[in-house]
Amino acid sequence: MVFSSVVFLFRFLPLFFLLYYLVPERMKNVILFLGSLIFYAWGEPVYVLLMLFSTVVDYVHGRLLERLRGKRAARLVVLSSVLINLAVLCFFKYADFLIQSVNAVFGTKLPLFGLGLPIGISFYTFQTMSYTIDVYRGQAKMQRNLLDFGVYVTMFPQLIAGPIVKYRDVEESLHHRKITIFDVSEGLKRFCAGLGKKVLLANNIGELWAYVSGLDPRGMSMLTAWLGILGFGFQIYFDFSGYSDMAIGLGRMLGFRFPENFNYPYIASSVTEFWRRWHISLGSWFREYVYFPLGGNRKGLPRQLFNILVVWMLTGIWHGAGWNFLLWGLWFAFALMLEKAFLGNLLAWLPRGIGIVYTLLVAVTGWVLFALETPAGIWGYTKAMTGVSVSLVDGQGLYLGRQYLILFLVAAVASTPLPHKFTEYLRKSRTGLHMALYRFGEKFIPAAMLLLSIAGIVDASYNPFLYFRF
Amino acid sequence: MDEKRSALFTIIVITSVIAVFGVADLIQRDRLFSETENRVLAGRPEFTLDAFLREGYAQKYEAYLSDQFVSRDKWITIKTYMDLLLQEKEVGGVYLGSDGYLIERHLPEEYSHVQEAKKIALLEKLVWEWDAGVMLVPTADNILSDKLPKYAPYYDQKQFLEQVAQHVGPEHYVDVYSVLREHAGEEIYYRTDHHWTSLGAGYGYDAWAQYTGRRGGRYTAEDMELVAEDFLGTLQRKVNLNMAGDDIYYFPETLKRPLKVTYDLKKEAETCYEASHLDTKNKYGFFLDDNHAFVEIETESHNHKSLFIIKDSYANCFVPLLIPHYEKIYVLDLRYFRGRLFEFMEEHEPKQGMDVLVLYNCIHFLEEFSYVE
Repeated sequence: MVFSSVVFLFRFLPLFFLLYYLVPERMKNVILFLGSLIFYAWGEPVYVLLMLFSTVVDYVHGRLLERLRGKRAARLVVLSSVLINLAVLCFFKYADFLIQSVNAVFGTKLPLFGLGLPIGISFYTFQTMSYTIDVYRGQAKMQRNLLDFGVYVTMFPQLIAGPIVKYRDVEESLHHRKITIFDVSEGLKRFCAGLGKKVLLANNIGELWAYVSGLDPRGMSMLTAWLGILGFGFQIYFDFSGYSDMAIGLGRMLGFRFPENFNYPYIASSVTEFWRRWHISLGSWFREYVYFPLGGNRKGLPRQLFNILVVWMLTGIWHGAGWNFLLWGLWFAFALMLEKAFLGNLLAWLPRGIGIVYTLLVAVTGWVLFALETPAGIWGYTKAMTGVSVSLVDGQGLYLGRQYLILFLVAAVASTPLPHKFTEYLRKSRTGLHMALYRFGEKFIPAAMLLLSIAGIVDASYNPFLYFRF
Repeated sequence: MDEKRSALFTIIVITSVIAVFGVADLIQRDRLFSETENRVLAGRPEFTLDAFLREGYAQKYEAYLSDQFVSRDKWITIKTYMDLLLQEKEVGGVYLGSDGYLIERHLPEEYSHVQEAKKIALLEKLVWEWDAGVMLVPTADNILSDKLPKYAPYYDQKQFLEQVAQHVGPEHYVDVYSVLREHAGEEIYYRTDHHWTSLGAGYGYDAWAQYTGRRGGRYTAEDMELVAEDFLGTLQRKVNLNMAGDDIYYFPETLKRPLKVTYDLKKEAETCYEASHLDTKNKYGFFLDDNHAFVEIETESHNHKSLFIIKDSYANCFVPLLIPHYEKIYVLDLRYFRGRLFEFMEEHEPKQGMDVLVLYNCIHFLEEFSYVE
């Protein structure tokens, strides 16, 4: 089930929360667990078993780790947990990709498994790995209660598109959480904002990319190519951060505080900063469980550059089983290594605006690798972006630019902290008029966004789910 | 306390949106058909374990919920106005042109050279075999191009028509393009529908008259009579905006002589206009009783001349204009015809032979023209 659907908004959501708020506290986890299973099984009626399998496996590993604390065998247990998780992930996500690659390189004809990718598998396997590793390191306590642990793994808000919540972030709340009226109102507002970002901004500007990516790049002007990929950049940002907002909002309504996942990535003034602002929970996962264990930056520059390369290859391939995703990761690794070597110091010295433009260039050209899957497609599109294919500007580009101008402006402003700063200014100024404006806006703007989003969902001419490859 | 009350109020405002429409949606009954969208709506799928596990029950149920959502038409209108606010000038494949014209969008990349060549080859076979005339009518975007939004791309039908003319030769080509272009400032296309108007067809007649060596100017704006004022056509239904309806005119001269019209070999009529359609949404159906596979028109002019027209719906308002010139007119719509075309034509060809005319708009021709010899 996805959040931006009639069945979620008008069936699951009201029914679930009605039950959840009505039952006494000790029953809340039961409702949350069952609700989450229904939520997942709605879209993945078979793979829900895989998720339960993963839950039980890591639960057992957690208990074993506690029993073996301090002993050498604990190492083997955590290793076993990581291996099982990676095996599940690799089998369902990468097996066919590897077989295809082998077939392509060696000319063999090995058959494919042809299994669909279980939605959210990359998110929940990463979550459960964080649990066993943290228990092994003594950074989290073992969870004795299978139900509570099941709630952590399967919890529907962040299940299919993140954020990746580490076990220790919600450890306390799993047993005991207090839900205040402010949690509910703030959560609802956040959910509406996220829904609006997804349905009103991402879906609309996504139509531009859907159109441009369907064109033959050999006949594409530079303007069209740039508009298209900028459109994709906005689409994926608002789609992904919108999903995270909805997840965080729903989590808050349940009584959880999930970590933030996006922090205005398009105002970053270096690629290093971009990755501290984009998909934060994934970046911090890799930093904590791969980059630091590899030595991070503590073993000299060459080793640090190597570590960056490893982490970003993994980051790339995490986003989908395809060479283009690997390339995409390498593209960022390359920029990050340059920044570590010298570019970072240079950027820090230059005006911030230059850094922002440079970062946007790296990110936007990166989206070409991300969004197009074939080498020919990537090459053709990149050529169109340089303007050598046809021309710099043509009627088509001008038309698209005119047609999407307002949406681009709205999207650009919405990707900066300005709207947030403005509401904070109103909220904090405490004069009567400002306060009244704020009080009015905080109720009716989310409600209006919800209404308009419903219109977008019911019309549903274009409402894609972008993370089926993650 | 104040903060708490405000938070509670926030919760009430937001949840009431869900509650109000959720309850209304539960109460409301299902519809079979949407008139505005002109399609059958999804019905409630039956739940079985097998359907759920293997047959995509969830997707079907979601389609059902969305199709049957309470006041679906209004939501779609809201979405359309939102699109207009954000992206302007284009809704669901329709350009919002100036002067209140809705103009169907046909993008250049939708029609390849291969497709053009294929259709022309097919057309040539027909032309050489039957000495047929070719009358391809450009769509509104190519004629009313100054009414399109600025820079709006459109498939260039002029270059396609030039190719056609070159292949079939001037002795088979009726140049409608130039005539319509000359009259681009007049009401030759409907504002809310993709068809040309009776006036447009009247100018089409001039092109045809010139091609057959007759005198043009037989059907002018002054000769027309109004039959309906509130025609909201296919394009209006696509964008679903509030608009003033189009006027539908026809040429009463075409009614002067008694006729026998036979639709699909069974339904008979004494005129080629069917007024009952004027009370429905599909008012263009007034002409030739909407779409039929095969129409035979018998006139009182005993000149032993016959015409066989292979056509799309653009011909419906044009065919009546030819009545004075023929004793028999056969009208065939290939979309509904499953037999062998040439055999079928031979069956209807009188001893002294017959004229053959291919009449399509360029887009329908590229998309739909096909037959088995």
